[in-house]
Amino acid sequence: MTETAMGKHIVVALAGAPNVGKSTVFNLLTGLSQHVGNWPGKTVEQKTGVTHRGNLTMDIVDLPGTYSLTANSAEEQIARDYLVKENPDVVVAILNAASLERHLYLVAELIELSPRLVIALNMMDVAQQQGKKIDAKALAEALNIPVIPIAASKNQGINELLTAIEQEYRQPAGARELKHIEYGSEILKVINHVEELLDDSITAPYPKHWTAMKLLEGDTQIDKLVMGRAGVGKSSALNAYLRENESAAVTIATLRYEWVERMMAKTQEKPPLGRVSLTEKIDRAATHPISGLFVLLLVFGLIFGLVYSIGIPLQKFLEVHLVESGKTLVNTNLVSAPAWVRSLLANGIISGVGTVLTFIPILMLFFAAWAFMEDVGYTARAAFVTDRFMHLLGLHGKSVLPLVLGFGCNVPAILGTRIIDSPRSRLLTIIVAPLVPCTGRMAVVTLIAAAFFGGAAIFVSIGIVIFSLIMLIITGLLMNRFVVGGEDSALLMELPLYHLPNPRIIGLVTWQNTMAFIKRAGTIILAVSLIIWLLATVPNGDINTSVLAHIGKFFEPLGKLMGFNWQVMVALFSSFIAKENTIATLGTLLGGTGAGLNAQLKTLLTPAAAVAFLVVQVLFIPCVATVAAIRQETKTWKWPLFTIAFQLVLSFSLAIIVYQVARLL
Amino acid sequence: MDSERTEEYLEAIYKEQTKGDPASTSFLARDLGVSQPAVTDMLKNLESKGLIDYKSSKGATLTELGVERALGVIRRHRLWERFLTDVLGMKWDKVHEVACKLEHLDVPEVEERLAVILGDTDTCPHGHAIPDNKGNIKKEKAVPLTRFQALQRVNITAIDEGDSRLLAAIEKKGLKPQVIVTIHKKNEDGSLELEAGNRKIKINADLAMALLAEPVSAGQRDTIKEETTLSKLNAGNTCVLKEYTGERNLLGRCLSLGFTPGSVVKMLENFNSGPVLVKVHDTEVALGRDLADHITVTRNENA
Repeated sequence: MTETAMGKHIVVALAGAPNVGKSTVFNLLTGLSQHVGNWPGKTVEQKTGVTHRGNLTMDIVDLPGTYSLTANSAEEQIARDYLVKENPDVVVAILNAASLERHLYLVAELIELSPRLVIALNMMDVAQQQGKKIDAKALAEALNIPVIPIAASKNQGINELLTAIEQEYRQPAGARELKHIEYGSEILKVINHVEELLDDSITAPYPKHWTAMKLLEGDTQIDKLVMGRAGVGKSSALNAYLRENESAAVTIATLRYEWVERMMAKTQEKPPLGRVSLTEKIDRAATHPISGLFVLLLVFGLIFGLVYSIGIPLQKFLEVHLVESGKTLVNTNLVSAPAWVRSLLANGIISGVGTVLTFIPILMLFFAAWAFMEDVGYTARAAFVTDRFMHLLGLHGKSVLPLVLGFGCNVPAILGTRIIDSPRSRLLTIIVAPLVPCTGRMAVVTLIAAAFFGGAAIFVSIGIVIFSLIMLIITGLLMNRFVVGGEDSALLMELPLYHLPNPRIIGLVTWQNTMAFIKRAGTIILAVSLIIWLLATVPNGDINTSVLAHIGKFFEPLGKLMGFNWQVMVALFSSFIAKENTIATLGTLLGGTGAGLNAQLKTLLTPAAAVAFLVVQVLFIPCVATVAAIRQETKTWKWPLFTIAFQLVLSFSLAIIVYQVARLL
Repeated sequence: MDSERTEEYLEAIYKEQTKGDPASTSFLARDLGVSQPAVTDMLKNLESKGLIDYKSSKGATLTELGVERALGVIRRHRLWERFLTDVLGMKWDKVHEVACKLEHLDVPEVEERLAVILGDTDTCPHGHAIPDNKGNIKKEKAVPLTRFQALQRVNITAIDEGDSRLLAAIEKKGLKPQVIVTIHKKNEDGSLELEAGNRKIKINADLAMALLAEPVSAGQRDTIKEETTLSKLNAGNTCVLKEYTGERNLLGRCLSLGFTPGSVVKMLENFNSGPVLVKVHDTEVALGRDLADHITVTRNENA
């Protein structure tokens, strides 16, 4: 808390399990004032924002969704470390009123940290629809914590929540005594004994009593910290005692759930039995192994239909009206400027930036569809239905979502793997994701197929998609078996209640994701575009005699094995910037466009070589933005370099085989 | 009105005689809150209808016809109790008195529909067996907790529902039918110290009298509740979670999602391969099959 002439500045942390509508509350509190970044050293999103109330400025911090404060995942570790170390002025626990029993567990844990706590009871409307009668007042009395019923999706109760936060903050310290859970003398004895084996210098900044409980609960992070700091003798005594009392973890959790049950008894009348909730009714179809697959295909089909019927035409439109007319503008209006300046602007910057921009409509549609599925609660079902197949590849049910996103662009697919909580499955998903044919690659495939195969082009295109998905599966199987170490992690996830989508939330999420993509991919693509432009321009401005041409010629012998000459190799290399660059580069090298390009392609490639080219194009090394994303998400160069090497070998060797076989036919 | 009184008498006599002795006039006067002469008059009336055998020295026992009518009333009473808790969501300490009124509504169709709505329920919320519609009832072998010795392990099967305050107190202690407890110590004032799960519970003599239990021995336990793994449960079945036997590094996640011993888990979907879908603590949770293989459960008889 800081006091300035402008008034007081306080920090308010939002805590809650996934699927409680926490981000909705956060968005309502902060609007567009929010800042999205990463938690230090983690790939978990950190959202902060500001809201004002009188002369009180509240910095709102959205903690990652957590079920408990034991570090079972990166999210839980971040949330609890923030609460313990940063000591926010007020903690708001957001609970889902429709499944209160599940979410009170977190409150049981929060109470132990004795913060200034306010409970926001979200989804009161949903609870009501389900016939659950919840007495917020009774809960507040039982807990001695203010409880504010809200319906974030309907924008109800937010003002009351802010008032409660303010009141709680303005209360003198110690005015409110939290009712702690009674664990009973038996378990307390055990906790106290562990506490005696510790001292503050070992546990800081964590409170000693709390640390003792977490050790008993088997929290690996705390365990590592304490054992590292305690001397050899102490840590072995501690270890022995903890092993002896291994069952304490279960007991503590059981006691907390019993406490939850008692709170529930005071708060909620038992809901009517015979009533089957809408969620359960929908789920009988949506999670069934057979009908669930149909639902899944239908949903994905709709998404792709949307992307192809709206996104692709929009992309073409932008290409013509933004990129092409931009180039024309430069070339006609800057006649007096030196040729290299015009070339830099037109071929370097405009085509580089333009590439990114033309993809925005497609990506936005994917992001919106993604946000929609997430908001209504379908993503968890999709993960459940596909888990049985994904499991064979060592992947996770949740892998299916980033992979589908990959059809739009591989970059958000790599970033999207964050939803997978098992590190191993996540890494495997990152490795196979670049094999999903993105729209950039499909643009090239469609054009080449049309040039060579006429009416059969559509089948060739579909064939290539299926081919690359088969390669994806084979890669997954190989990586799962031979490359990525570690244990398979089991599926364990909550299926949230279905609810009506909130357009505001979907809009915000789409906007944030799009902006993040533009920033991330845009800068990299621009930088690499300029480098390639430079290579294609030096020493004398003619691409045919440029450094790039020399590189292409150097690799021509390799190209010959696939039926490619050096121009094709250069075009292929240029796809490293962005996959669809292949066409533009070929156009530049051959000096033709449109129909002229089609005719020239036929002289450049035999049909056998064309097929080989399609194969190499879809499997070639990921584009630079994807590589950067892999680097960012794996936090090491090992995996991006591995991916490059693997896909280089995979694409060339398969293309050589395809060409050599096709030539014989 | 007359039949209502008749039924109350039959019910009271039935309960007393299942404990072993005929119902004495003094007991009935106390239990029903009427004067002894009034009881005597009523008993004579009932005998004339062929519902009881009455000897003034010993008391009353039901005839076959009397048993049949008594069981009908008891069946309706316990069905209504179930309905009040499970469907209307009332607390178990409130339902007995309401059911006492409803039980006299003898409309076969209502009784039939109740049984259908409640499914395969075979006990009342307090753990007493519900007679079937042919007048058969599972014999209760349970005796009050006070009759057991220290260090005996017993399964609480039912709770005497007469006093609603006792019921509320029992619920607070986390005790309910199908909870297994060990009697740690019997105190002089009649109070007991119990252990359930890993918890220590102290109950006074009144509560101990109201709790009805059967002994559990290692061999017997399997006959009471069948133990299996979560993955073997069919869709629609409910079970009580016993323990998680898988890798310790997943224990924390299981616990925080509510897979704690004693939790009621309902299987929603299980297709013998792939993940399963369960409901636990009011939430749907998807579990990989290997995880479900490592969670032992006992099938819930009350489900």
